[in-house]
This record gives sequence, C-alpha cells and structure tokens, in this order.
Amino acid sequence: MITAMSDASAPPVPGFVESTFSPLVHAAVHRCLGVAPPGDGARTAIVLASTVGDATTLDTGSRSLVAGQAHQPLLFMQSTANAILGRLAVDLAVTGPLLSLSTAVPDDVAGELLTTGALLLETGEADRVVLVGVELAAGDRAAAAHRALGTVPPAEDLAVALLLDRDDPVPHLPELPAHPPPAAPPDGYGTLRGLVALAARNQGTPP
Amino acid sequence: MRREVLLTGYGVRTAFGTGAEALRDGVFDGRPAFAPVTRFDTGPYRTDAAATHGPAVPLREVLAETAAAAVRMAGLPAGARADVLVGTAGDFTALTRFWRTRGRDADAGGAAGSDGAGGAGVVETVPAWQAAALADALGVRGTRLAFTSACVASAMAVVHGCLLISSGRADTVLCAGAYLVEEENLAKFGSGFALSRDGAVRPFCADRSGLLLGDGAAAVVLESADGARRRGARPLAALTGWGVAGDAHHVARPHPEGAGLAAAAGRALRGAGLPRVGYVNAHGTATRHNDPAETRGLRAVFGPYADSVPVSSTKSTTGHLLEAAGVVELVITLLALRDGVLPPTAGFTEPDPLCDLDFVPNRPHKADLRAAMTVNAAFGGVNTALVLERT
Repeated sequence: MITAMSDASAPPVPGFVESTFSPLVHAAVHRCLGVAPPGDGARTAIVLASTVGDATTLDTGSRSLVAGQAHQPLLFMQSTANAILGRLAVDLAVTGPLLSLSTAVPDDVAGELLTTGALLLETGEADRVVLVGVELAAGDRAAAAHRALGTVPPAEDLAVALLLDRDDPVPHLPELPAHPPPAAPPDGYGTLRGLVALAARNQGTPP
Repeated sequence: MRREVLLTGYGVRTAFGTGAEALRDGVFDGRPAFAPVTRFDTGPYRTDAAATHGPAVPLREVLAETAAAAVRMAGLPAGARADVLVGTAGDFTALTRFWRTRGRDADAGGAAGSDGAGGAGVVETVPAWQAAALADALGVRGTRLAFTSACVASAMAVVHGCLLISSGRADTVLCAGAYLVEEENLAKFGSGFALSRDGAVRPFCADRSGLLLGDGAAAVVLESADGARRRGARPLAALTGWGVAGDAHHVARPHPEGAGLAAAAGRALRGAGLPRVGYVNAHGTATRHNDPAETRGLRAVFGPYADSVPVSSTKSTTGHLLEAAGVVELVITLLALRDGVLPPTAGFTEPDPLCDLDFVPNRPHKADLRAAMTVNAAFGGVNTALVLERT
C-alpha cells in the first residue's frame, strides 16, 4: 500500500477554477502513483469518496444563479468529480473504472473506500485501485449539512490517497476513538480521519 | 464462481408519468415529452424546453415512490436486508433554495445563521443523505451509498450491485437513481452550449443541436438467483454482463473512436458470453461529439454484426435524465426485452453520415429479443454497459 496526502497548498490544475477540490485530488493521486511502480492503466481503477463533495464549485454556481449572473462554463465542467478523475485518467493513461461516491456514515469514508477497493480487486475488475478521500473545510451550506448528517468536516481542505494492489492484503482500518462531537474535532481531519490514520500507520508517523 | 444476478422488481417515473404503462405510451410510441417548463422562470436560460412531469417535488419523494414500487413488485419483506445504492448528485432545488433564502435573509439585515431558514432541507443537497433517507423510508438494513458519477451515476450503482451479488457479498441490492429538472443544471448545460436550440432532441441526426433535460427516477431490485429462489420471487430478467471503462482522452469530450464505450460494452458481452445482443439502448445525447463517437464504439464492439443490431436513443422522448439515465434506461431496456418491442429514436430526420447504424427511426419495431444492452457515458470519459437476458 502506498499513501499520499495533499492540502490547500496543492498546485492549481489548468482548467479547474475557484475550488481546491479538484487540485487536492489531482495532487494526492499524482503523489501516490508517482512513487509506485508502473502499472497497467487498463487494469487500474480510481475511486473517489467524499461526504459533501465539491461544495465550493456548486455553491459558487448557485450563488451566481441566484444573483442573476451567467454561469461560468468551467464551473459546469468541474461540477462533477468525473472531471478531475477524467483528467487523472488522461495524465496517467488509466482506462479502468473511475468511480465517485458520497457516503455519510461518520468516519466511514475510509471504510467505504476500502470495501469498494477490495470489491474491485476481488472481482477482477482491476489489479490495482487508487482510493482517494477528499473533503473541503465547510462553508455555510456544507457546515449546515455536516451538522444535520452528524459528520465532521476537516478543519482545512484535505485529500488522502491510497494505492491498493492485488498482491497486497487490503488493510484494516486502525481503531479510532469515539467520534468527536461535531463542534470540536480534536484531530482536525473530520470525515477523513480514518484515512489519515491509515496513511500515518503506513508511513510510520503519528497522524 | 460468479453468482447469477436476477432483476425481480422495478419502479419508474419519467415525464410521461409513473410506471411501465406510461413508458409504453410515451417512449415506446416515440412521442417526445418536451414542452415549456412551468415549474420555474426559464427567462434567464437558453431554452424553456424540457421533459417534466408536474410541479417540482423533492427528489427524496420520487426516489421513495419508485423504490417502493420496485420493492412491492419484487415482494421483498419489510425489514429485509438490502444494500441501497443511489445514483444522484443531491437535490439541486434545495441548493437553489438555500442560497435564495440566504440572500433574502441578508437583504433583511438578518439572521442568516447557518441553520436559518435556508438551512431547512439543506441536508437534501448531499447525495449520501438521499441514499440514507431512501433506505430509512424503505425500512431496509444494509449499506447506503450514493454514486455521483454524473450521467453514469445510476448505471454505476447497478454495476456495483451486480458485483456485490455476483461475488457473494450481498443477496439483495436496491439500485436507484433520480433527477428532476431544475434551474442549476439548466444554467450549467446552457453555459456549456449543450442544449438543443429548437426544443427537440434528434440523436444521430445530421441536424441535431443538443440535448434537453428530463425528469426521471427509477429503482430496480437485484437478487442472487439462490436468494430469489428461496423467496419464491419471479425473475423479470437476468443481468448477465456489465462493464465499466474509461476513455483516458479528454475531461469533457468522449474518445472520438468511442474507445471506452467499446471497452465497457466488450466487457459486458464477454461477461454474458455473447457475441452480440438483439437491441442496444444508446446513450445518444444528440450532442455533436457524443453520437459519432458512440456509433464508432458500437461498430467496434459488434464488428460484423453491427449493421444488424438495432440501436435507439430514448432520450429523444424522455430527455437527458442525468444521474437517473442509467437506471431508467435499464428499465426501458427491460420492457423492450419482455414486450418484444424496440423503442424508437423519435424525431429522426436525416442520419448524420458519421452515424450509420440501424437507429429504429420514429416508430417502434417488434423483435424477438433474447438479450439487450444499455450503454451510458459521462464527463471524464467514463462509460458503462449492462446486458439483460430473458430468464
């Protein structure tokens, strides 16, 4: 297993504007695969999971609509996570499955990603799977949504990527302490803390 | 060993109304449902046309309605264990309402706290909530997961359901998808110059000018053959092949040779052990780039059989159902298989010379089908294919 993280310092990706969501995903996946041995793109899958998704892009578009302004075409293109997955597929010559998921079980972005990765490997849909969890620090709407869901956003924009290989056992999640109260996430990683803990264990560093 | 996947129930809603009869009267009769939208002011947008059914309702309601119909048809008992997989991007009407209310609160000088009036219903904008709410409404126990892969979202949910069942990880999976016409996507697709300029959708035609949006929701119950047999459930069809593949070509345009679509369809055919099928429900968006690419992809996958495989785009009647397209078109394909009727490509004029398959123009055909396929494609070059066979 190879892991990588990216934060708001991720470099911009040409054609993607306003939101850090896609650059975070782009940087985390590139860092993850950048240190991996070359693989067969046709046998590689990328699975993205987030709870709220790219709220910045959706909210920017919605606010301009409400204000009576014309929609930016680039926001249309990037409003689905498929866009950055497609960009990564071009960069990395990946022609296997590209999935994007939304899961709202507290702490379960990691669990759902690992389950999906294992499913793709075990059913022979792919020989290696890049799992990427991404969540933005919450703006107004996302904060209200997280409160209603009982989930916690990270304190800062964050993406974590893991590469699973058919020949490696799918890792078990480290045991996490009870979910923190929404108002005070002590570790700051929110819905991604399972992935961060997994990455830290893999790299032998504290989360 | 791969377990057999059976489809034992479905529910569906489009601009033609609810249920199979509404589809037979509209889609299978080749009657486009496009009309001026009345549920909001279309003045700011590039078109006022879409395929809608009644006033705006919450997305969760149409998901619950179609899923309940699927569960009833399958005869699933209350409290059954079933994973719920939903293709959705969340409720966009709730998104617009949040920011409109927030703007009014601010104008009033007030109290636009995060949980103010605009916050009511804000959770409905989250895709995962839609899946969880649907599972709660149905009273089923299992994984709840939303697929947010745009125009292949609900097809991805069905593929995932097939993987869960065929691998023995699940016995019963409910796969659903929903999209209802609203302002956010009318603005987005308008900004991308993807919308038809003349109020009609003419896939594969020389004079096509783009897509129109449509209301759509559907749900299907998938079961393992053993599980269905134990319950005494009546299978409607078997899902024998599925495939997902990427183009690795462009963020927003399909591979010009339909490479990813051909790869997805090829995987689905190999999984089913078939060299061809009797009908393909195409993605067929009537956009400039999609239709020739899809034609080439289907030609590549069917090879010498390509000229004898009928292909139609039912988006010519329903409009583009976005996240719901995959599962609604799976239900349409199921009806074609069971009724022995091919739904036409409506409003067909002159074929684009680059689109040279049998597109079932304008009128339905009778056909004795044993197997049929539905294909979808999305931004990012993501492609899906599903093969249904009679049981």
